Amino acid sequence: MTMADAIFVLVLLCLVMYVVLDGYDLGVGIGTLFERDRQHRRDMLEQVAHAWDGNESWIVLLAVILNAGFPLAFGTILPHAYIPLVIMLLALIARGISVEMASQSSLDDRWVLAFGIGSLFAALAQGVVLGTLTQTLTVVNGAYSGSPFGAIGWFSALSAAGVTCVYVALGYAYIKRKATGELRAKAGRRGVASAVLASVLVGASVVALRGTAAPLNLDNAARAIGFGGLLLLAVGGVAITLVTLRPASRNDSLPYAGLVVSTVALIIALVVARYPVLVPPTLTVYNTVSPQNTLEFLALGIGLSLPPLLFYNWFAHHAFRGKVETS
Amino acid sequence: MTLLDLSRWQFATTVMFHMTFPAITVGLAIFLCVLYGMHWRTGSPVYLQMFRFWRRIFALGFALGVVSGIVITFEMGLNWGVFAAETGPVIGPILGMEVVMAFFVEAGFIGILLYGDGRVGRGTMFAATVMVAIGTVLSTTWILAANSWMQTPSGFVFSNGRFEPTNWMEAIFNPSFLWRYAHMLNAAIISASFFVAGIGAYYLVRGRVLSFARRSVSIGLGVAAILVPFQIFLGDNVASHEFPLQPSKAEAVEGNWNSGNTGYVIFAIPDQQAQRNIVQVNIPCLGSYIYEDLSCQTGNPGLDLTPTADQPTMLPVFWGFRVMWFASILMFGTILYATILRFRRKLWTSRRFHRFLMWSIPIGIIAILAGWVMAETGRQPWVVFGHLRTSDAVSQLASGEIVFSVLGFWLLYFLMLAAYVAYIVRAMRAGPERDTAPAVPVIAPMVMA
Repeated sequence: MTMADAIFVLVLLCLVMYVVLDGYDLGVGIGTLFERDRQHRRDMLEQVAHAWDGNESWIVLLAVILNAGFPLAFGTILPHAYIPLVIMLLALIARGISVEMASQSSLDDRWVLAFGIGSLFAALAQGVVLGTLTQTLTVVNGAYSGSPFGAIGWFSALSAAGVTCVYVALGYAYIKRKATGELRAKAGRRGVASAVLASVLVGASVVALRGTAAPLNLDNAARAIGFGGLLLLAVGGVAITLVTLRPASRNDSLPYAGLVVSTVALIIALVVARYPVLVPPTLTVYNTVSPQNTLEFLALGIGLSLPPLLFYNWFAHHAFRGKVETS
Repeated sequence: MTLLDLSRWQFATTVMFHMTFPAITVGLAIFLCVLYGMHWRTGSPVYLQMFRFWRRIFALGFALGVVSGIVITFEMGLNWGVFAAETGPVIGPILGMEVVMAFFVEAGFIGILLYGDGRVGRGTMFAATVMVAIGTVLSTTWILAANSWMQTPSGFVFSNGRFEPTNWMEAIFNPSFLWRYAHMLNAAIISASFFVAGIGAYYLVRGRVLSFARRSVSIGLGVAAILVPFQIFLGDNVASHEFPLQPSKAEAVEGNWNSGNTGYVIFAIPDQQAQRNIVQVNIPCLGSYIYEDLSCQTGNPGLDLTPTADQPTMLPVFWGFRVMWFASILMFGTILYATILRFRRKLWTSRRFHRFLMWSIPIGIIAILAGWVMAETGRQPWVVFGHLRTSDAVSQLASGEIVFSVLGFWLLYFLMLAAYVAYIVRAMRAGPERDTAPAVPVIAPMVMA
């Protein structure tokens, strides 16, 4: 394993941390849009008010490590996915402020609505961004040059729906873990529905990858076995979630854990099948990587910081651990 | 208006919007930490009341600073893709350190600081306030290291079409870093102290919560009294360490187009095209004095020493500096006057001064923003001074994309700013009276009945 691979693993770590953590709080936000009971909407929002900030940090770390470790990739992928990324940023801003405003003024429900809409648009936009990575990149003289909507194809619509459903399922699994009574039961029922829908959409997306510029590469045995094994793990995770997320099941921590396992397994499976290509046709881990001096600094500076980072993230959740009376 | 101009306007406005919040929250975070520590040590309810009130003011500003800061990180790739690709090997890890040493620390503990009252122990609460304060200071450190590298780049070679680091110590501790860092950190604390004193003065004017108000004004003015004179010394050192490396910025700051002026320009309307000032007001000989020649014969260097293609636009550089400088004189005068009032025992009775102090709530923020306008526009036409031109660093985007993002950010930021100001005004009107209740969580009760 080269230094480039080590930094790439760091990028992936940030990605999976972001998806499983901010995924649940975006999902809870989207869930408030479908919640008729005013008090339950509030309860859901309060569940993420103290955690969204820490969860969202992972996408910032993802961005700066990509910038530092694979600067050419950062400088071409971002302009490539300009419109969906701008929408994502606008949505994340609106949503972050809405959480604070809503929890500071308990009378105004418009902020709760803004929180829900912001969460929905952020999730959809992230799905579209994922979709743009399957579209051929146009690079002229080392700089991105494509049309504004050229990077958004039919696959983006599919991946947007898939990513959003995964987040919603994570959100409901988290709520079932934190809530009691009626809200817990609702989260279980809706969680099962969204997990089924998410599985179908994600499954369809994986199959549909064949029709894009970024088909899965399973030519050699190691890749095929790795991909197959991870996919099996993902299916197992979903199965555990579907069984335990039902309101009747008394286990409230396995649903979220199951989804985390399957989400992480799926992301790694896709990476195994695409490595080392980042964006087709030619942008790879190796031709965008920073000089050795930068990689060493990153490995040392960021690598050594990871244990405390994970501790802060854990502690922020630990301080507010346990169930909250919600009905 | 070219696409380059649009990307520049987008970056300028989003980064200034962002800077408005750290300009208050860095100092407030330290203030909150001191307040909670005092409450913990003395058990005095006044400190808890102050902590809760100022925390409410802090909360939304902090959140706005965080989300608008995320935008900046992404914009460097979105609108300045070539900049990101070429400087990533140097700037990237420095920003990475900011994220791991500051961003995560703040984000991890802000939840406890804001919502932990009554749910976690006092020791944990205090630890959270300390961590958030440390986080904001470390954030300032790394951001200033990265920006100072763009101003006075060192410790790198340009090869393979990008800036490759050769010596990290030189890159991080580049020639302008330490002075600019001290200057910025000090500025953030000063602007927070005027913010605190100003809001305290509002209650003096209204005749409400007097003990709370007096303590806030005292602390605010006291901190400013120590730091403002120090800041003038630091600012002078920033100039003397940065200007020799960026002569074009110095020329634009002084407002001269040719190098014979022995006076000091205090007002000018520059005409860049004609390379002259349409209107100009001088203080005779002061320019020469600044260059340590009391005989009034040393002319100040003008922009004619820099080729037209390498000149910054004088207007924002000149006025950015003037606004910062005039604001600092006003702040210095304010604390001087406050000290005189205090010795004459009139500080708590001078209604006119209280009113004046109330209107100076944003003075520090204005000075900081103006200083940044000077620093950033003075570096032009370079994004990495002397090495990478801003016009070469921009992403090749379609016009529709940039128009969409500029309008999107402006509209959203305008709404956010309006919501923020309305929120501060509402919090001020509601006042700290409600913050005296013991032990119950004030904000966002986590346990719902």
